[in-house]
Amino acid sequence: MRFLTLFYSEYLKTRRSTAIWLIIAGSLFTPSIIFAARMYRQKVIAPMYLSPNFWQTAWNQAWEATAFFVLPMGIIMATGLITQLEWRNNAWKQLHTTPQRLTTIFFTKFFVIAFLLLQFFLLFNCCLYGLAVLPALLLPHVAFPPAPYPFAQFLQGNINFFLDCLPIVGLQYALSLHFRNFLVPLGIGFLLWILSIGILSWEHSYTLPYIYCAFEQVRNTSRALKLTSPIDIHLLSVAYFLVFLSIGYVVYVNKPEKG
Amino acid sequence: MLQPIHTNAMLYSVETENLSYRFPRGVGSSVLPFPPSASAPQILHNVNLRVPEGSIYGFLGQNGAGKTTTLRLILGLLTKQQGIIRVLGKSFEENRIAGLREIGSLIESPSLYSHLTASENLTIYQKIHGVPKGRIAEVLDLVGLARTGTKKAAEFSLGMKQRLGLAIALLHKPSLLILDEPTNGLDPNGIIEMRELLKQLQREQGITILISSHLLSEIEKLVTHVGIIHGGKLLFQGTLEELLQKREKSSQIILETSDARRTMSVLEQFHITGRVESSSVILPFLERETIANIARELVREDISLYGIRAQNDDLETIFMNLVKD
Repeated sequence: MRFLTLFYSEYLKTRRSTAIWLIIAGSLFTPSIIFAARMYRQKVIAPMYLSPNFWQTAWNQAWEATAFFVLPMGIIMATGLITQLEWRNNAWKQLHTTPQRLTTIFFTKFFVIAFLLLQFFLLFNCCLYGLAVLPALLLPHVAFPPAPYPFAQFLQGNINFFLDCLPIVGLQYALSLHFRNFLVPLGIGFLLWILSIGILSWEHSYTLPYIYCAFEQVRNTSRALKLTSPIDIHLLSVAYFLVFLSIGYVVYVNKPEKG
Repeated sequence: MLQPIHTNAMLYSVETENLSYRFPRGVGSSVLPFPPSASAPQILHNVNLRVPEGSIYGFLGQNGAGKTTTLRLILGLLTKQQGIIRVLGKSFEENRIAGLREIGSLIESPSLYSHLTASENLTIYQKIHGVPKGRIAEVLDLVGLARTGTKKAAEFSLGMKQRLGLAIALLHKPSLLILDEPTNGLDPNGIIEMRELLKQLQREQGITILISSHLLSEIEKLVTHVGIIHGGKLLFQGTLEELLQKREKSSQIILETSDARRTMSVLEQFHITGRVESSSVILPFLERETIANIARELVREDISLYGIRAQNDDLETIFMNLVKD
């Protein structure tokens, strides 16, 4: 109960913050582009809506840019923005003189980031569904998709992507807790992300911690590029995340200057 | 709730013993608390601070003297390297959470979430401290920010930000308030308002206040006790009366006359050693009667006396005299 109250106190800081707007914009980004494209090509989309694979296609289209681009970049920026609420406002010193354990501060802040990530997934899925069916509601010649919505399959897909992006959350959180300058974690994050995308087809690319979202998307959709991993990438992803979070925790708790 | 320490018949809200600190330098020192190298600059040298319970303790020193470092060590914002810190009688290291429950602090510039309103800023700390929601309106009223409404902290003037910082520090009704240069950047009116508010808090709620400043004149109307730090060493600690006595003894008399050389000859008759500085004659502290006798003698010698004034409000002079002592 006490942890929930402290979590809420942390979450209150995100009110009207840039991180919240980033989550909203990020979740709307790909579904909106797909919606705009369908409206632009409205004369030819009617058969697509009658396809039994309508939802699978919509899912793959929406996740293509999201897994490669929107989700990793969004996490890199949002994680930095959450910790910047303390850095920019010179508020670490006030937070560290409140009667809370450093462990509590570390984890409440981490859970706020995780909660924002969950909000992203929820909003993204709502947008994916809403903007996919909207043409059918707006255009008389487009039928409402008769294919059943594959809820269980998409839930599993969401869980997989959530696990796959955790190493990015872990390392970005550790970096942004340590560096006052927003550009340092941002730069390191972008470099690792570009490196991951650049060597995606490498046979050992599964060893890179920032690659798993793209890896999962390619593995699910690409026929040309076959990506394999000797270890379950979701397990690898969780392992990387735990290592990064532990390092971040040790460095944070032992930092000689706390604001 | 922690109780104040009882040592030598005096209750101390904050007590440090041989508190020393060097800036950690070198690879990894900003990441983990590696012991500082011997060549690292020493910031504090065996500081023994004693803040009596219920006092307003003025912690004075020039910029870079070690005030903020001491306060940050007391609050646990810096990792202690050497010495003992006791807050309300208990080792702070071993009772950090219990200690922080009793402390309200405002270190340097106020820490405000600029995108939130005053009330929203306070709500964050209200949740952390677990105080009733009604306390937010009380402290906003106390610091005169009750009518800021939906105005974001970013739009506040510096004085309003300082007052909101103070409201955050007071929210959980602490028994010890630690304020680091809270009047920095405030206009004269703001300084007076802040001073009156702190006096009121000490008088009505019995809060112990540890307040740092680099201006003696700014806090001498407020404090009951004073500690003077210079170069990381605590040079003086005692009541304000004790400091004023010391200041009087270390003050200087400045004579402005038509002939400084002949004035020096007159002073020799009184066995007083002075020095000439840009046509003025500087003398050590003298009894009132002696000053009157010198003035009479100067007139008798036909030396025009343009002015006699005491110079005793210069903190730098007190520092220098304390260093010399």
